Amino acid sequence: MSRNGLHLKNVGVRLGDTDVLHDVSLDLDARTVAVIGENGSGKSTFARLVGGLLPRASGELGVLGLDPARRAAELRRRIAIVFSNPDAQIIMPTVAEDVVFSLRADRLPTAELEERVAAALERFGLTDLAERASHDLSGGQKQMLALCGAFVRNPELVIADEPTAYLDARNARRVADHLFEDTGHRLVLVTHDLALAARCDQAVLFAGGSLVAHGEPDGIIARYEAVLAC
Amino acid sequence: MLTLYKPGTGWLHRMPAGPKLLLVLSVVLGVSLLPSHWFSAGLAAAAGILGYALAGLGPGLHGIRELGRQVFAIRWVIVVTLASQLVFMGPEPALANAARVGAAIVLAALLALTTRVTELLDAIETGLRPLARLGLDPQRIALLLTVTISTIPVLGRRASEVRDAQRARGARNNPRTFVVPFLIVALKHADELGDALTARGVR
Repeated sequence: MSRNGLHLKNVGVRLGDTDVLHDVSLDLDARTVAVIGENGSGKSTFARLVGGLLPRASGELGVLGLDPARRAAELRRRIAIVFSNPDAQIIMPTVAEDVVFSLRADRLPTAELEERVAAALERFGLTDLAERASHDLSGGQKQMLALCGAFVRNPELVIADEPTAYLDARNARRVADHLFEDTGHRLVLVTHDLALAARCDQAVLFAGGSLVAHGEPDGIIARYEAVLAC
Repeated sequence: MLTLYKPGTGWLHRMPAGPKLLLVLSVVLGVSLLPSHWFSAGLAAAAGILGYALAGLGPGLHGIRELGRQVFAIRWVIVVTLASQLVFMGPEPALANAARVGAAIVLAALLALTTRVTELLDAIETGLRPLARLGLDPQRIALLLTVTISTIPVLGRRASEVRDAQRARGARNNPRTFVVPFLIVALKHADELGDALTARGVR
């Protein structure tokens, strides 16, 4: 089992009576991994499985050397997940409070908590918006807040499921730059944006709930584009 | 909309959230228990004015201006209470009850104006801790309150999106055609919120 990356052996996921992911075997130890494929191909299911949000029906799974089914609490402390819809990720009424919420379970001393929150707000350009109502922010600002809430926990692995889907080009670029910035975290990026996929170290292609190919992004993207051209 | 907190340095801002919650609850309870007489209307109004004037919300008449904003925000509550009670109970209880309801709401707003939700959450959690012996989870109850508060504006926006989508397709405002799609988006939001809470380390 990979100690740091992802290890899947014959993994299957069922939702009700439907097999949504079947027989996926994969070992990845790259820092950044793109997950591509058409709608309904199983990309998001893969991301949710790796993030511990969905149980596997069969096979063997390791994320950062942990089995999500057995050590879910420890895994959640070490990973962060960013979704495409930031509205669902914002819990607290103001920007600063929402970032604080991410650290609530850690019970940090007040000074350390304030320092980490201030640093995270600064890093994501949210300092001036700290007292603003979270749900009154623009779409781009909300996604930056979602990222801020994820990164303030210093995760070892960030799983981002189409984080730029609702954003304009400028905000999409800002979000992507933060995700790719090397702060010691690994990234699993589910995306339809092939330019973003090309920035990753490795790429994984899904179709019809199955893993089709994985490897260097250029080759995988070329293969996906060939499928799209048919 | 639901973020009433305004940063400040007055004594009410500095007061710990737990005692402040008890103080505000006591004052609101006191106002609510006033009898339905003419003088109660005056007392309730005086409590509201004094509360805002002495809360240290800002320099000069800042507190009174804030009171004006709060009263304006709940004007329809006051009007509806006043009108319905005028019809059924006469002018004296109508005025007294409308003043008591209005004063109770604006005084309760003082808590939200001067306390961050995280501080309130901590205070509620601490206050409910004895209930843990009965098997209740104070952390979960406090979180439930917070999530409820934060979900209201999101659902409001989703409702307006559903209405816009219906208008765009030529449908008239019809509660029957609104309820089903709204229920679906609300349930989808609940699913996403559950995932987001799990992803942020909430059990």
